[in-house]
Amino acid sequence: MPIIVNLDVMLAKRKMKSNELADIVGITTANLSILKTGKAKAIRFSTLEAICKALECQPADILEYTEV
Amino acid sequence: MKDNTNILTFITWGILLAAVSVLLNDMREFEFNKFENFVNWAKTADKDAPWYSSQNAIEWSYYAISAGLFFWRGYLIYGFSYFLSILKEIENENYFSDNNIKYFKKIGTIFIQYTISVLILRFLLAAIGESTFNFFTELKAEFTFLIPAGLAFYILAEIFKRGKQAEEDNELTI
Repeated sequence: MPIIVNLDVMLAKRKMKSNELADIVGITTANLSILKTGKAKAIRFSTLEAICKALECQPADILEYTEV
Repeated sequence: MKDNTNILTFITWGILLAAVSVLLNDMREFEFNKFENFVNWAKTADKDAPWYSSQNAIEWSYYAISAGLFFWRGYLIYGFSYFLSILKEIENENYFSDNNIKYFKKIGTIFIQYTISVLILRFLLAAIGESTFNFFTELKAEFTFLIPAGLAFYILAEIFKRGKQAEEDNELTI
C-alpha cells in the first residue's frame, strides 16, 4: 500500500510505548499493531484525532504517501 | 439470537426426520408393490436374449430409474441437512464465514441438480414406456420450484461473500 504509517517514529520521538498510546486512544494493542504494521485498510477520523492529540502531532507526521 | 437459532435447528431436525421417514416409507412401499412384479418377471425372463433389444432392458431400466429417483430424494435431504451446518455457524456467531458461503453454494447446487436429474429420470421412465411425460406438465410440479430456490441460494452465497468482505474491511478499520 502506498500509504505508510510512521507511528513507530512518532512514538520514539515522544518516548511513548505502544500500550500507553493504545490506552490513551482507547483502542486495543492488537489494533494498534495492525495500524503500525500497515495491515489496516482504513483509519477513522476519531482514531486519527485521538492519536494526533496523544502524540501532539499532525496527521501528516503519522501518514506518508509514497509511489510504489 | 441463540434462542432463534435453537428453534430453527429444532424445526430443521423435525423436517429432516419427517423427510427421511417419508422416503423410507416410500422405499418400503416400492419394494412391496412393484418389486414383486419385477421378481415375477425375472423368473420367466429369457436369460439368453440380448439386454438392449429385449424386455430385459426395459424392465431393468424401469426399476433402476425408479430406484434412482429414491437416491435423488435422499440427495435432496442430504442437501437440506446443510441448513443444520449453517445454523451451527450462526450459533457460533460466524455469520459471514467461508463455510456458510460454501454451504449456500452446495445447497443451491444440490437443489438444481436434483430437479434436473428428476426431470431427466422421469423423461427416461416415459421413454421406456411405463409412464407419461409432458415437459410443461412436469414444470408445473412442485419440485421444479427448487430451481429458483437453488438460484436464490447462489445469490445468498454471493451476498454473504460481499458481507464477508465488508466484515473484513470493518475489522481492519482502526
